[in-house]
Amino acid sequence: MSATTFGWLVLAFPLAGTVINSLGWRVLPGRLPGWIASSAIFLAFLSSIGALIKLQDHPAEERHLVDSLWTYASTADFHVDLAILIDPLSVFMCLVVSGVSFLIHVYSVAYMTSDRGYSRYFAYLNYFVFSMLLLVLAANFVILIIGWAFVGAASYLLISFWYRRTTAVEAGIKAFVINVIGDVGLVIGAFLILDKTGSLDFLQVFSQVDQTFTRNDGTLVAACLLLLVGAFAKSAQLPLHTWLPDAMEGPTPVSALIHAATMVTAGVYLIARMFPLFEQAPAAADVGAIIGCATLLFAGTVALVVTDLKRVIAYSTISQIGYMVMGVSAAAYSAGLFHLMTHAFFKALLFMGAGSVIGAMAGIQDMDRMGGFRRAMPFTFVTFTIGALALAGFPFTSGWFSKDEIIGSLLNRGGLYAVLGVLGYVGAFMTAVYAFRMVFRVFQGEQAPEARELEGGHMAHGDPVNPMTGEPEDTDVGFPGPEHHIAERDWPMKAAMGPLALLAIVGGYIAIPGVDNVLEKFLEPTFADSRFADTHPSTGAEWIGLVIGGVISITGIGLAWWVYIREPGTAARLRERFPRAHNFLSHKWYFDELYDAVFVRPATTIGAFCRRVVEADFVQGTIVGGATGIVRVGTSFARSIQTGYLRAYALLLLLGVAGLTLYFLLNSS
Amino acid sequence: MIDLLAAVKAPVIDYKELSPLFALAGGSVIVLMVGLVRSFFVRSVVVPALTAVALLTAIGLTIWIWEPGNQPPILEGALGVDALSLGISMLFYVAGLVTIVLSLRSTATGEAGHGEYYSMLLGSIAGMVVLAEAESLMTLFIGFELLSIPLYVLCASNLHRRTSLEAGLKYLVVGSVGSATLLYGLALIYGATGALRLDGIAAALASDAVNTADPLLLTGIALAATGLAFKASVAPFHQWTPDVYQGAPTPITTFMAVATKAAAFAVLIRLFDFALGLSQLDWGPALAVLAATTIVIGNVGAIAQRSLKRMLAWSSVAQAGYLLAGVVVGTQLGVKATAFYLAVYLVMNVAAFAVVIARERVTEFGDDLRSFENLGQAAPLLAWPMTIAMLSLAGFPATGGFIGKFYLIDASVAGDYTWLGIAIVIGSVLSLAYYLRVIAVMWMGRYEVELPSVPPRRVRPVAGWSPEADARAQPEVLAVALLAAAATIFFGIWPDPLFDVARDVASSLPSLH
Amino acid sequence: MTIHLSIVLFLPLATGFSGALMPRGTGRWAVLAGTLAVLAYVVVILVDFEPGGGLQYVTNDDWIPELGIHYALGVNGLSLFMIALTAIGWVACTFVAAFSELERPRLFFFHLALAETAVLGAFMAQDLALFIVFFDLMLVPFYFLIGGWGSGDRVRATTKFVIYTLSGSLLMMAAAIALGVLATPDGGNISFLLSDLRERSVPLGSQEWIVLLFALAFFVKAPLFPLHGWVPDTYRATSIPVLALLSGVLSKVGVYAFLQIVLPIMPDGSQHWQELFIVLAVFSILYGSVLAFSQDNIRLVLAYSSIAQLGFIVLGIFALEEKGAQGALFQMLNHGLVTVALFLIVGVIAARAAGSESLAELGGMAFRAPVLAALFLITALATLAMPGSGNFIGEILILFGTFENQLVYGLVAAVGVVLAAVYMIRVYQGTMHGPVGPAVESRDIDRMHLSALAPLVALVIALGLYPNFVVHRTEQATTGAIAGARVAGAAQKAGAQETAAATGASAPRIVVAEESR
Repeated sequence: MSATTFGWLVLAFPLAGTVINSLGWRVLPGRLPGWIASSAIFLAFLSSIGALIKLQDHPAEERHLVDSLWTYASTADFHVDLAILIDPLSVFMCLVVSGVSFLIHVYSVAYMTSDRGYSRYFAYLNYFVFSMLLLVLAANFVILIIGWAFVGAASYLLISFWYRRTTAVEAGIKAFVINVIGDVGLVIGAFLILDKTGSLDFLQVFSQVDQTFTRNDGTLVAACLLLLVGAFAKSAQLPLHTWLPDAMEGPTPVSALIHAATMVTAGVYLIARMFPLFEQAPAAADVGAIIGCATLLFAGTVALVVTDLKRVIAYSTISQIGYMVMGVSAAAYSAGLFHLMTHAFFKALLFMGAGSVIGAMAGIQDMDRMGGFRRAMPFTFVTFTIGALALAGFPFTSGWFSKDEIIGSLLNRGGLYAVLGVLGYVGAFMTAVYAFRMVFRVFQGEQAPEARELEGGHMAHGDPVNPMTGEPEDTDVGFPGPEHHIAERDWPMKAAMGPLALLAIVGGYIAIPGVDNVLEKFLEPTFADSRFADTHPSTGAEWIGLVIGGVISITGIGLAWWVYIREPGTAARLRERFPRAHNFLSHKWYFDELYDAVFVRPATTIGAFCRRVVEADFVQGTIVGGATGIVRVGTSFARSIQTGYLRAYALLLLLGVAGLTLYFLLNSS
Repeated sequence: MIDLLAAVKAPVIDYKELSPLFALAGGSVIVLMVGLVRSFFVRSVVVPALTAVALLTAIGLTIWIWEPGNQPPILEGALGVDALSLGISMLFYVAGLVTIVLSLRSTATGEAGHGEYYSMLLGSIAGMVVLAEAESLMTLFIGFELLSIPLYVLCASNLHRRTSLEAGLKYLVVGSVGSATLLYGLALIYGATGALRLDGIAAALASDAVNTADPLLLTGIALAATGLAFKASVAPFHQWTPDVYQGAPTPITTFMAVATKAAAFAVLIRLFDFALGLSQLDWGPALAVLAATTIVIGNVGAIAQRSLKRMLAWSSVAQAGYLLAGVVVGTQLGVKATAFYLAVYLVMNVAAFAVVIARERVTEFGDDLRSFENLGQAAPLLAWPMTIAMLSLAGFPATGGFIGKFYLIDASVAGDYTWLGIAIVIGSVLSLAYYLRVIAVMWMGRYEVELPSVPPRRVRPVAGWSPEADARAQPEVLAVALLAAAATIFFGIWPDPLFDVARDVASSLPSLH
Repeated sequence: MTIHLSIVLFLPLATGFSGALMPRGTGRWAVLAGTLAVLAYVVVILVDFEPGGGLQYVTNDDWIPELGIHYALGVNGLSLFMIALTAIGWVACTFVAAFSELERPRLFFFHLALAETAVLGAFMAQDLALFIVFFDLMLVPFYFLIGGWGSGDRVRATTKFVIYTLSGSLLMMAAAIALGVLATPDGGNISFLLSDLRERSVPLGSQEWIVLLFALAFFVKAPLFPLHGWVPDTYRATSIPVLALLSGVLSKVGVYAFLQIVLPIMPDGSQHWQELFIVLAVFSILYGSVLAFSQDNIRLVLAYSSIAQLGFIVLGIFALEEKGAQGALFQMLNHGLVTVALFLIVGVIAARAAGSESLAELGGMAFRAPVLAALFLITALATLAMPGSGNFIGEILILFGTFENQLVYGLVAAVGVVLAAVYMIRVYQGTMHGPVGPAVESRDIDRMHLSALAPLVALVIALGLYPNFVVHRTEQATTGAIAGARVAGAAQKAGAQETAAATGASAPRIVVAEESR
């Protein structure tokens, strides 16, 4: 089988899984839907490997295979095939997506057991994977946009999976609308490109960019910025990030898969995929890099103060994606994608850990109420810590290599990028702090009652309530169902967390400066004709960077240790000292409030205005009312002259004759 | 002696061409005589039958002498027996027949005396024929009077109803004023052109002998127009219409609505489009303004009516406005459109009035809208003809009304009177307000429909009313309604036969382009 | 010269008559069978239709030679899928109606059948006058259907609807007659045959006001702001199956006629008003969307949403560019399908909420009605033009077409896409998600409605999978339809360009780019 056939298989299996689970929702017993879904994804993973092998057979310069099923839509200069593009980049993405997804599916098999929407959940989850793979395999803009919107829809469905929670519903519509904004950005960007290059196929467009556009051509920059809008909406970069923290309303595995590991990195993939455009429009690339940097700092500060466990991880995700965006925008493609991969490993791992803790807390997510889970859940403790280490960029973990490769290549490019790189170190320091803030507050310190019970061997059974609002959860729809027996007890969860923990450590060893550079070599064909293909920091420089990074992360961890273990009261005291700063951060820089004031309220006001004034007074009042009014007047007039008295008729008659005669006489002269 | 008589220059009398008139006149006399017989059977059956025979004979004769194209006037230019007059006469005859059928159960016939009633009907029809055939100002006026006087009486024939008498009186007074005006106008025209015969007038206008801008002539035209506008109930000379239509016995109302209007337009066409055709530029705009006013006033007036007869009266005013548009443009197309619309107008109005008659005889609400409530369930066979009539009057497609309006608008646009076409359209939009109301009352239940605020009049049902009685008690009325409705639809889908007639009619005025 | 179209056209009417004469219970089945037969026939035509083959299945006889009116029918790329939409919509709605309790059923189904004939006729007519006949005729059955079987203030609503629509279309009739008369060469005979009118020419001055009157009629029907005064009352009063047809199918007749009649016959006149119509369209998009998400009654949300959607369609048509027109036509089909489905779903929902259609009283249905929720979700996503649905291709083509010449308006319209997401998701969540509403008595969709809705939804998905099936068959027709107006526009722009080049204005840059390609 050819590589492209494998490509189609990659798409086929998850789709089949979706169909089976959504049609068989009534008949499939017990955990079967979960296993069906997981095996579908596993097969997709195998097919990706197949595609990888087949692709390597081709000579380096021929590793761009396009295959089309049928003409999707074709009129005038608008021609779109239902086509996929197999090249190292897409294959790499397929591997990461399907691989991580598979583990998370396995985790979910156990985690969602007691949920009434079991098979609906897996149908959605498979649908998501299918969409994500479609996104990364797309060979032209339209298919890309379709995959792009599909993942948006899947994420919407999974965010409001427990759809009787008002918070979940609101989070859902928020995510959906922001994603649509992104889609519109993509569409308009795609138009500008079609308008100028006359094509929507990636390869064709890329081949023409340099002839069609001068460097920093206005249209091209506009197009790239519009693509960035799409990317930022999906990847929760400033100022379109507000949906991601709320997206934590979804089940924890969903947060792990969609809102940490895969979907939110789509923006990074997009920028990398579009590199020929961005390299021809450096202005746009700079914008991307700057915003990425701003985002990573902003999110880091927020993650320092938020107390909701999942939201801390969410903000850390935003921050980490900031790194990736910064990287790919600065033409450090393999570095950005490298971080994308490692981040997928350790961030998924962190979420799984959080999931089992939250399970143990009977749905409570507030870190203030947690503590001392170390002995209660040793396995979770170990894996979570590994994840935190990788996130903090602790030496010889995957995060250490990937994050510092990005910063390294930034410094190497110098100028503006050097500044961004330095700021990147600042972010790294914050990362280390909040990563271990979580570890220490959840697993160390004095035990929460739930932790004690769990050690006693049985789980806390609070009545299910919505962790956000505290309103009672209805157990028709909503986790954790009537009874729950999760936390790390169930083997599939361990089976998923174990491998991820391993990868979180060794995942970085595929690109050790000076030792090997598997990833970059593999991706080389895709980025061959990049202007910066061979601008690399020297091995020495990279190692220096790594050392600095290691030192920073260790200091960060140390600070966290000092604040939360050595001097427990410190955090509280800081809060006392700088109440304003704390408020500002804990309100996430007031972004939600701002948008509410600028967009939501005005829109509703306008709506009310149109309904009450324009519709009632103008459309109904003036247009309809006016016409009928005139007729009414006429009617009453006709009535009033129709008195029934002959004398009145005679009068009008005379007037008539007189008028008519007068007309004729005047006309004659 | 003999040679004295031979010396008398008697005009050549073309009996063939006159035969329909003879049939009518003779019929009228015979009916009057037979009406003197005491037996109720003879009065209420034989008399109407004889009347019908007279009309049928007239129809047969008319078909026999039918001859398209321009016909020279007969009787020294007194009468013009051509497709125009014959075609439109057909409408009189049909209207007459319908009136007979509708009158069978009417109390009016009894109160006025059957013989008198029917012979006056025939007399009036004869007057209309003369009017339609009038080729000289004299015959025109004679026909006009012969038409009117019997009608005055017929309106009042419901002797025991005050409204009927009032209607007769009003019609008499207003009508005479109209006749007077007409006469005056004709006199002035004669004075200006020195010709009595219409072709003479046309010739005079053609020659430079007469100045078309001569005030005498123009005043004459104005007054003549007024006089005829009365009969055609064109605004602002329409005001008698609602009162008379409502007061008169409904069969007579039907007859007036369709036949009188046809006669008036026949002579309007002859006088204006033929005799005064050359000064069309002078009278065209004036009549156009009249037409527009009529359209608006008629429709607006109708909206406020609860009484079906009154509403139909107003609507007939509006329809007169539409018809006038066809005369105004003074073209072959215009004449054709007018003739066509007159025919369609006849069938759809007959359908409507027939249903009104059927209802007012059985409910206590008389011709008030309320007597039509839920007719859709109670008597669909009555509701459907009414519905079709209303849709056709409103000008919905697949009915004769639509084609007719289309034709009239076509004519006015082609005659450079586009704005008049727009006026027709606006009129039709206004008319929806009351036509649709009738349909709604019949099909959509009583409470939903908002009726005008006039309180419903409690009237003693016209014919011996019994609550049990329903439409099926009057098969002949039902038959008329159904036939007319069927015709309305037929002409809406297959109008060609009517078009052929209309073409012949127009062909008799070759002077028009 | 074939009889096929005449059969398709009058089959419903025939079944309607026979149904009216049959005994009370059975009439409806006759009508249903009629609609099915029509659908079957249309499917055959659809398969047999030769893309790019111009006008096909032509029937052309004199009807009223006196007036130059012909009984001329035909199918081209423009009408093909509109006819299909009509057939599908009528099958679905007749099916639903046939299984529901009605008073005076025979009358109801007679009017329903008559309505189908009228709509089919309007789509098939190849003669302007014939088109007008059917265009006005379809008001009659709908007048009865709304007034006789509606709810609430139905008589007022239906009267308003008819007067509103007819005042538009009667003015159009006057304009059409004027067109026929003015187009008649000296000594020639008047003819309303579209093919004749296309060849004959009318002076620009008259074209302008004629086009305006046509547009008036079509915008009322569509409806577009500010001519939608009849919409709220009518939508509230009409019963669901009728409303589905009214909003799904009837609303397309007007906009379809722009492509089939107005643009080819009066290109200059249409081009003259392009700016105005685009402004109207864009405003309707925004206005409709904003009102849609500030309504509480589902019907009204959908009512205003279709104002917005029709705005998109008009925008696409008057972009006067291939992609735009193509998208507009495709969007007519898509919007028709999803709207029919949506309204049937609304009916199902109301049946599960004690007849309530207020979002305030609904919610949380999905758990007991998963299938219903799934169908609703797919339809809702398609309605908001989710990529992967046919609506998306329609909308993206419309937007691309608009960007070409009218970038600014296109960008404003793009806002409408976002707003659409807001109100559709709002409706979906308001009914299916959130806490269980007070009025809700939730149970899953019944077999009857399922068998009516499932095919529709399947069709929507199919259009998303292979939109080119439609695009391919309609391309030639749409391109031809706007060609004339396009030339006129280009010529005018060329003029504008020179002046701009002189003044150095930046406006026509896009045009330069377009012509450079």
